[in-house]
Amino acid sequence: MSSVGPAPAGPTEGAAIAPPARRPHPAGPSSRRNRRGSRAERLAPFVLLAPAVLIIVALRLWPLLLGVNFSFTGDGDRNGMWVGLDNYLTLLDDPLFRTALGNVGLLVLLLPVAVAIPGLLATFVYLRVPGHRVYRGVYFFPAVLSPVIVGAIFNLLLAYDGPLNTVLGGVGLGPVDWLGDPDVAIFAVVGVHVWATFGMALVVFLAGFATLDPSLLDAAKVDGASLPQTIRHVIIPALSRTIQFVFVTTMIGMLTSMFGLLYVMTSGGPEGSTYLPEYYVWIQQGQMNQPALASAASTALFLIMLVVGLVQIGILRRAGKEE
Amino acid sequence: MKQRTLWSAALVMGLALAAGCGSAAGPGSPSGNSGDKLVVWDWKSGDAKAAGYVEKAKADFAKKHPGVEVEFVAQPFDQYYTLLGAAIQSGKGPDVILFNGGGQIRDRADALAPLDTYVAEDRQRLAGWDAFTKDGKTYAAPVTLQGHPLYYNKALYEQAGLNPDAPAKTWDDFVKNCGVITEKTGAKCFALGNKEGIGIQFFLSALGSATLTPQEYDDWIAGKRNWASSDVKRIFELWKQANDAGLNNDGANSTAMFNDAFAVFQSGKAANVIGLMSDVGHWKDFAEFLGADEVGVMDAPLVNPAATPSLPYDGGIGYGVAKWAKDPKVAADLVRSLTSTDALSAFYADGGAIASDTTIDLSEGGPAVKTIVSEVKTGKPALHVALSSKTVDLMGRLSQQLLSGSITVDEVVQQLAASDKTG
Repeated sequence: MSSVGPAPAGPTEGAAIAPPARRPHPAGPSSRRNRRGSRAERLAPFVLLAPAVLIIVALRLWPLLLGVNFSFTGDGDRNGMWVGLDNYLTLLDDPLFRTALGNVGLLVLLLPVAVAIPGLLATFVYLRVPGHRVYRGVYFFPAVLSPVIVGAIFNLLLAYDGPLNTVLGGVGLGPVDWLGDPDVAIFAVVGVHVWATFGMALVVFLAGFATLDPSLLDAAKVDGASLPQTIRHVIIPALSRTIQFVFVTTMIGMLTSMFGLLYVMTSGGPEGSTYLPEYYVWIQQGQMNQPALASAASTALFLIMLVVGLVQIGILRRAGKEE
Repeated sequence: MKQRTLWSAALVMGLALAAGCGSAAGPGSPSGNSGDKLVVWDWKSGDAKAAGYVEKAKADFAKKHPGVEVEFVAQPFDQYYTLLGAAIQSGKGPDVILFNGGGQIRDRADALAPLDTYVAEDRQRLAGWDAFTKDGKTYAAPVTLQGHPLYYNKALYEQAGLNPDAPAKTWDDFVKNCGVITEKTGAKCFALGNKEGIGIQFFLSALGSATLTPQEYDDWIAGKRNWASSDVKRIFELWKQANDAGLNNDGANSTAMFNDAFAVFQSGKAANVIGLMSDVGHWKDFAEFLGADEVGVMDAPLVNPAATPSLPYDGGIGYGVAKWAKDPKVAADLVRSLTSTDALSAFYADGGAIASDTTIDLSEGGPAVKTIVSEVKTGKPALHVALSSKTVDLMGRLSQQLLSGSITVDEVVQQLAASDKTG
């Protein structure tokens, strides 16, 4: 390295000497203009990025930090006081919050079902079962309804004296208190959520099918593969990236946008069995007047989402490399 | 090239500045402290049913202070206390504020000006002051009264061959009558909605005065609650027994009190319901379906011979004056206009609320209203209103467990006692 030392001196010296020599030339002003132009160009990216960065910092990161900070302070008489991890200990001690976390686990377990349903239906539409054009439209229809409307509809359908129980009674099955039985209610709500949102996943799957090479299907048919075999060995491998994408979006949807349904259908009940963290946050903040505890719950929810998100990004990246 | 860069830079700067403005201004920062303008926050004035009330109150105030402008800002109720919390934190906001009585106003009394000197003249005319009082100081003037009468459907009683004008005096007779009604008409005894855990609140308060001794009742309201007492346990046992005996409509845990349970009563599928006095689920709503003469109100049937049944009620909503109001005297005058007899008459007639004013003419209201109003004088604060919102929330969930049979009354009482102690 040291032997190379003197070498750069050459050009530097040259550069130091060169400008004075050029100065009298008429090219001078133009080079100044170039320099000014390059400064504008150097600043342009920052200026262009500023709105996005400002919005993210001012409306996302700053409130996030405030919220995390707030979660270490107390409520009520201890408002504004530093209480360390008290709020988090309260959370862990609260059976309601533990139920909410348990329900998050349940959602993760139910995720494959929520992905398989649109996947299977999209397969049938793609394979042109009779009436597939109608189904394509019908399946998407619930996706345009707001959760409140969906919740209200299913409140009527699933009522104890509602149509579903009447039908069940007609075939000799006892009535089920769909939204009033703590062991059933969470499945009823998740089921409705899947019904209300699978249309979007279905469209994504259909888009994935559009990239599928039909000759693979023909080859499978020639080889005498049954439908399950075709799905298992042709469709699933070919659509692996689509499936992973749907997994990610469905998970996010389940964890962040069930509030409306919960609010309308069960209000977190019966017996608190359908609480999810975001509903818990809302109750503590809006109903119990405990904003600091709610901040702690939000921070916990944020950490859960962060872990889930990072795991999913990791999976997606690995899948990307495989291809 | 350079021109374009400059333009886009300018555009971007403009956008950035606009974005900055949007976040800095924030929602709801009324400039209500400008001296000759009063800003009122509530969740009522946007309602068409309250239009007459607001108009009368404004007219009354304009007579006293012609130069002062009044602006009503109707906030959505589900966000109301969140928005108000933000205003209180920043120390500026509306001059006159609508509150629910009880915990909601007591929790925020620090932000309000005591009104005792301004409203002295209204003391006798209005009822329900207790719900707006903390440590002996009054922070708002009551507009409506809220409570939990036991309503019954006179037509069903008649159909079952019972005398609709002589409802049962004791719990045992009440249950017996219900048996007859169910047998003869197919209607259930109680319309109950406990999806949100509200059913138990109404039940506790409606049957409390028929179960607790007067001493126990007053102690409860004063904060000396003995959860281990057999009379307190008795209320929760009744709650469970009533459901086990099939007195309630099916699926009470999945029926919303607002308004599915009331719909059960209105459609004649249940003979009794514990309802409200004001706003919704009350005599006026029921009268629209059943006819004003068919809606009866009975005293809580006696469970404990040592008890004295009374109407459970509190001040429902009331207007207070913010601490930061420039001229509290003028703001208090607006509160007085908002609780004037004229304005409250309009509220009673249009909105169907039992107004706090005891001098209002009720001759048009039907028998239920007359019974309720006649019982206001002997009434007492409702039991559940005295509990913290945390305990009430827990009670809701435990009551659902009682109905589904996954918990015992002893465990319920223990958990509630523990919650009541801490919170």
